[in-house]
Amino acid sequence: MALKALDVYKLLPKKNCKECGDPTCLTFAMKLASGKADVDLCPYLDEHAKSVLGATTRPPIRLVKVGVGERSFAVGEEFVLYRHDKTFNHPPGILFKVSDLWTPEEITAVTLRVRDESFTRIGTDLRFNGIAIENTSDSPDTFAQAVATVEESADLPLVLIAKNIEAFNAALIQIGSYQPLIHAATNENFREMSALAKKHSCPLVIKAHGLNDLTGLVKNCVAEGAKKLVMDLCPQSLGDFIITSTAVRQLAITRAVPDLGYPVFIDATHPPLQDAEIALGIVKYASVIITPPLSPASAKAALTLRQNIYTDPQKPIQMNPGLYRVGTPGKDAPVLLTVNFSLTFFTLQGYLESTRIPCFMLIVDTEGLSVLTAVAAGKLNETLVRDSIRKFEVEHEVSHKTLIIPGYSAPLSGRIEEATGWRVMVGPRDAAEIGEYLHEEWKKHES
Amino acid sequence: MGYDLNFGWNGAIGQVILGATKAEGGTRNISYRIGGGTTLQFLDGNPASPSPLVALEICDNPEYWSPIIKNYCGDLVHNVHEWAKAAEKVYKADLVRLYLTSTRQRNFSDISAVGKTVESVLSATGLPLIIEGSNEPKIDSDVFLKCGETAKGERLLLGTAEAGRYRSIAAAALAYNHSLIAQSPIDVNLAKQLNILLREIGVQHDHIMIDPYTGALGYGFEYSYSAMERIRFSALKGDTDLAMPVICSAIDSLTIKEVREAEPALQDEIALQWEFYTGIAAAVAGAEIICVRHPKTISMLKNAFTGMRSGAVFSEVK
Repeated sequence: MALKALDVYKLLPKKNCKECGDPTCLTFAMKLASGKADVDLCPYLDEHAKSVLGATTRPPIRLVKVGVGERSFAVGEEFVLYRHDKTFNHPPGILFKVSDLWTPEEITAVTLRVRDESFTRIGTDLRFNGIAIENTSDSPDTFAQAVATVEESADLPLVLIAKNIEAFNAALIQIGSYQPLIHAATNENFREMSALAKKHSCPLVIKAHGLNDLTGLVKNCVAEGAKKLVMDLCPQSLGDFIITSTAVRQLAITRAVPDLGYPVFIDATHPPLQDAEIALGIVKYASVIITPPLSPASAKAALTLRQNIYTDPQKPIQMNPGLYRVGTPGKDAPVLLTVNFSLTFFTLQGYLESTRIPCFMLIVDTEGLSVLTAVAAGKLNETLVRDSIRKFEVEHEVSHKTLIIPGYSAPLSGRIEEATGWRVMVGPRDAAEIGEYLHEEWKKHES
Repeated sequence: MGYDLNFGWNGAIGQVILGATKAEGGTRNISYRIGGGTTLQFLDGNPASPSPLVALEICDNPEYWSPIIKNYCGDLVHNVHEWAKAAEKVYKADLVRLYLTSTRQRNFSDISAVGKTVESVLSATGLPLIIEGSNEPKIDSDVFLKCGETAKGERLLLGTAEAGRYRSIAAAALAYNHSLIAQSPIDVNLAKQLNILLREIGVQHDHIMIDPYTGALGYGFEYSYSAMERIRFSALKGDTDLAMPVICSAIDSLTIKEVREAEPALQDEIALQWEFYTGIAAAVAGAEIICVRHPKTISMLKNAFTGMRSGAVFSEVK
């Protein structure tokens, strides 16, 4: 099935024109061969080359960009069914839905919220991605006004949801060049919708239930010239979504049904199940998720789940080694040693904060390994501890020489005492017990 | 045209039976056959397949239990009998998971009190029980044997066995025909290793549930999520040493920063959304029992599972 880079190269124009964004035809060929570029990026391919290359070289799920500018987002270009097979690449865009029947004040409030709200976790700002505007009024003028209201407050990616072409025309006259995602082409209106998408170069949602209808509609829209597609699977239930979305992903990444190789859209607006729909959208392959403006609690949980699932499992997240403060520790405050695996750090830090005992965290460089694995691999050892105490000048910060080490590193306690001259106390294995430990063992040690 | 959705799965998950009704030699109102799937949960398109079960976690000494739960449940948390009763009658849990936190006090030695607590909870509810014993190897054996003996015939799920600490709990499970939870730190190979160790001392596969350890959402949940998927795929591909049902308990959910430090008016809602999002994701990754601490999460999860079960089959695909 897959072609080698040199086979691909033979089919390219070899002009090195750079119009595809790559410096040479050969580098473009290498990208094509590994499924990381789309054939359509080359303007000089003949039909034969296109047909040979088309199906086998493009990413199994095409990349689709929504919106323009800083907040635009791209989805698709996924290669695996399970994140541990490699990684998921492009987190789904989550957009808040407003109706054109809302007052301008209501619409503006939601727009500003999406523009400004952000929630920082592990050094990353988590945000919602844009606004979906629904033509509930059925009036093109009202729709156009609602779109204008959103545009006045923010440059955010938009999804336009309407039933009639006039409404789209009225909206796209204003914002057609901002590449909003338009929803949706169906078996009935795909000609008009494809023409609209082509004219404004917008991504287009196609809407059909069942894999046969979906592939049929994809073919029809592509034939009409709409190439940037997103698929609304019209799930009949949560279960239907899980099954259909899994089937689409599996059939797309194996290239068994290349016409299903487009990102998936989910309309998570079915109370009281919308939180379940969002969670399922995130874990089961949705790329564009539409939801009513979420409560602060749902918002944080949804963004955190998305961050978790789209973290690259191939790269442990590391903290910079150093001496970290919890509260404002004095000279007599406890010093707790642990590794620089970010998860260990944040978990321990959380529990230490809740003890309300100011203290120091001595974070040593185990290259992101957890305590258990760092001890087993010999990365956490007495030399590292000794050098870290010196390097981070722990002796200037505290007036004592007692170090609390993680429970799983207990076998090192003697060697650490010898190498550092510090007294070692073995802490609990589970960070959850650190509060109790400090209140009992550390207090006892002090008295 | 037909679509071949073959994932290369030919194994099946083993079954564990929890609880025993009168006819089965116990006193529970219901018993559950957990596991038995041949695909990922919710992927079989069969509305009749069992949904994941939701267990409410309670304890007999709430000193270190989350203040969120103490606020929500009020005086209940000081009366484990009434708490267990409410778990079934008011909160509509499928299972009760009792943490014997009283045994985790320093120098605890009142083993007969353990028996009384277990009796009290057994009389409070007709639901099958999961019991979490002590945290101290020195008293493990006494505590687990006392639990096992007191609830003889009830087919408990006893927790929690780990690689360095599984003999006492296995002995109690074997002596009184209970099942046990085998927990390993987020790693498919360690999970397998522990199951083999347990088998070697005589614990049958149909008496083990795997706990891959669940990190809280935002604090390592992604590792647990993938560990659950990997355990389940290995099992479906035929590895019988991993073909046990999975139990998931993100016990840190209520103590992580986002929840603990939420403004008071929002705290309850954040706590349950945190448990809810975790529970949904864990269920699609393979967990058959989802444990929660906030009573309100129970109905949210159960409603969602019902919706996830009512999947249309691919009948429209010709």
